[in-house]
Amino acid sequence: MSTILTHIAISDGKIKRSSLEVLSHCKKLAESDGHSVEAVIIDEKASSFVDGVKKYGASKIYTIEDPIFKNHMNTPLLRALAKVMETANPSVFAFASTEGTKDILGALAANQDASVLPDVSSFELADGGITAKRPVMAAKIIANTEAKGDKVLVSVRSGSYDLVESETDAEVVNIDFSMDDNDLKATLKEIISASGDTIDLNEAEAIVAAGRGVKDEEGQNLISELASVLNAGIGASRALTEAGVYDPSLQIGQTGKVVSPQLYIAVGISGAIQHVAGMANSKVIVAVNKDPDAPIFEVADYGIVGDLYKVLPPFIEEIKKIKN
Amino acid sequence: MKFYVCIKMVPDVNAPLQIKDGQLIQDADRMILNAYDASAVEEALVLKEKHGGEVEVVCIGSAKASETIRKALAMGADKATHIQTTSDEQYDSGSYARILAKFFEDKDYDVLSLGKQSQDTDSGLTGSMVAELLELPYATNAVGLEAEEGKLIVKRQGDSGQEMIELPTPCAVTCSNDMNEPRIPNLKGIMASKRKPVEQIELSALGLSDDELTPNTSVKGYEEKPGREPGKKFEGEPDEIAREVAQLLDTEANVL
Ligand SMILES: Cc1cc2nc3c(=O)[nH]c(=O)nc-3n(C[C@H](O)[C@H](O)[C@H](O)COP(=O)(O)OP(=O)(O)OC[C@H]3O[C@@H](n4cnc5c(N)ncnc54)[C@H](O)[C@@H]3O)c2cc1C
Ligand SMILES: Nc1ncnc2c1ncn2[C@@H]1O[C@H](COP(=O)(O)O)[C@@H](O)[C@H]1O
Repeated sequence: MSTILTHIAISDGKIKRSSLEVLSHCKKLAESDGHSVEAVIIDEKASSFVDGVKKYGASKIYTIEDPIFKNHMNTPLLRALAKVMETANPSVFAFASTEGTKDILGALAANQDASVLPDVSSFELADGGITAKRPVMAAKIIANTEAKGDKVLVSVRSGSYDLVESETDAEVVNIDFSMDDNDLKATLKEIISASGDTIDLNEAEAIVAAGRGVKDEEGQNLISELASVLNAGIGASRALTEAGVYDPSLQIGQTGKVVSPQLYIAVGISGAIQHVAGMANSKVIVAVNKDPDAPIFEVADYGIVGDLYKVLPPFIEEIKKIKN
Repeated sequence: MKFYVCIKMVPDVNAPLQIKDGQLIQDADRMILNAYDASAVEEALVLKEKHGGEVEVVCIGSAKASETIRKALAMGADKATHIQTTSDEQYDSGSYARILAKFFEDKDYDVLSLGKQSQDTDSGLTGSMVAELLELPYATNAVGLEAEEGKLIVKRQGDSGQEMIELPTPCAVTCSNDMNEPRIPNLKGIMASKRKPVEQIELSALGLSDDELTPNTSVKGYEEKPGREPGKKFEGEPDEIAREVAQLLDTEANVL
C-alpha cells in the first residue's frame, strides 16, 4: 500500500476549490487500489482549514503553520514541501495547477529526485508511476503521457474533476517548521494586488471576457453590466491586458489562466488559438463578434454575429428579465 | 551584467498538424524560437543597453537549431553556445534541466534567464529545476525586470496579483511574454549575426551519465481533443438575435 498526498492550496484566506477537486480524485484512485490518501496544508493559519479538508476523505492531514507562509514565496514553500515529502513518503504527490504550484513544481522535483507531469487534465495510477492526459500544442491536441518512478509529482488543471464529499475522521499531524530569515534567498518587496473583491476566475461559474473589440469605456461598462447581472467574473484577452485596460491577472489563455466555467461569454475576441487554449473547456460558450468568419465561432455553442455595442444592451436587458 | 539566456527551438503551434496512429505529424520545417524565450532575450538586451554587460544564448538541440540561435543573435545577443544533440530526441524538462545545470556548473554569470514554458508543451518546469540544481535564488513568470548593483528586481505574475521580488545575483528567472514585445531583427542585425561566435559543444562532451539524460516522463501517443457539439450561429437584427440567445441560455442550455 502506498500513499497519495494532495497539496491544499490556500488563497485569500480560502481553500482553493481546485485543490479539493484534486483531493476528491485522489480519494477515488486510492479507494479503488487500496492506497491511503493524505493531504497537506501549508499556511500561516493552516490548522483553521483542517475541517474544510476533512470533508473530502483524507485519512491524514499534515499542517505546517508559520507566519512566513502569509504570502507566497518559493524558498520557504519548497522547504516545507520537501519536509512533508520526507515525512509522508508519498508515491504520488498531487497539486492543483495554480501559479503558486507552477512556481515550485520543477524545483521540488529536482530537490526530491522525483518525476513530474505538470498541468494535466486527468491522471491515473499505473504500474511504477502514473499515466496522464496533457493538452499540448496550445491545447489543440492531447498527449498521452507517462511518468515513471517511486516518487511522482503531478499538477491538475482546475475544473478537471468534480468535488465529492466523503467525511472521514482524519488524523491531524502538525509538522514543525522554522526558517531563518537569512536562509530566505529572495525578498518579497511588495504585492500589487488586483482590485480587492474580484471573483477567482478558476472558480467562477460564469465569465464574461472582453477582447480588442471592446474599444472604449462604453464597451467596458457593457462588460461590467453583463458580468454583474450574471454574477460572473470578468476576464480578458491579451490584447486588453497588454493595453492595460484590464489587470494582467484577468488574462485568459496560454500565457494567462485556464478556466472552465459553466458559461463563458467572449465579447469582441477573435479566438486566436492561444486564447482558446484557456477557455475551450467551458461548458457553454457564447461569442459576440461582428466578423462572421472569426475563429471564435468554431468553438462557440451560441455565436452572435453583430456589433457588440448593439448586441449587448438588449442581451443584458433580456437576461435581467429572465432572472427576475 | 552577464546574462545567459536559454533558448529552445519549438514547433510552431500555428502550423497545421495531424495525428496518424497516435503519432503527431507536422511540417518539420515549421520550427521557431520559443516565444517566451524571445521575450527573455529581449529583456536581457534592454538591460544590457541600460547597464552594459553581455548577453549569451544557450541552446540544446539538433543541427537545425542553429537557425533558432541565429534569430537570437540577429536580435542582438552577443554570442551563443550550441549544445548539439544528434536528433531532437524526446528529452523531457528534467533531462534538459540536468544538461543545462551541468553546462552552467563552472560558468560565471549574474542572471540565468529562461522562458516560463515551452510553447508546444506548456511544461514550465525547466527554469525552477535548473535553479534548484544550481542552488540559485529564482523567480518564475516574470513580467518585468530591473537590474541594480548585485540585484535583480523581478515583477512576477502570481495567482491574484503581482509580486515584486528582489533576488541577489547570481540568480535565475523565467520570463513571460507579457514582459515586452520582442524586437524583429533588422537587416543590420541579420548581417551582424553571421559574424558572431557560436561555440559548438557535443552533448556527450559534457559528461552526463545515461541515467542523467534518460527522461522520467514520456509521451506514449497523441489524440484529438474530445469534440464539441457544433454550435449555432445567429445573424440578423441585433435586438432580436441577442434576445433569442438569452432565451436559449435559459431554456436550452440551462446556465442562467
Ligand atoms: C506565446 C503566446 C501566448 C499567448 N497567450 C495569450 C493568452 O494567454 N491570452 C490571449 O488572449 N492571447 C494570448 N496570445 C495572443 C493571441 O495570439 C491574440 O493576439 C490575442 O488573443 C488577440 O486578442 P483579441 O481577440 O482581443 O484581439 P483581436 O485578435 O484583434 O480580435 C478582436 C476581435 O474583435 C472583433 N470586433 C471588433 N470590433 C467589434 C465590435 N464592435 N463588435 C463585435 N466584435 C468586434 C473583431 O472582429 C475581432 O475578431 C498569445 C500569443 C502568443 C504568441
Ligand atoms: N533544449 C533547450 N535548450 C535551451 N533551453 C531550453 C531547452 N529546453 C528548455 N529550455 C528552457 O526551458 C524553458 C522551458 O521549459 P519547459 O516548459 O519545462 O520545457 C524554455 O523557455 C527555455 O528557456
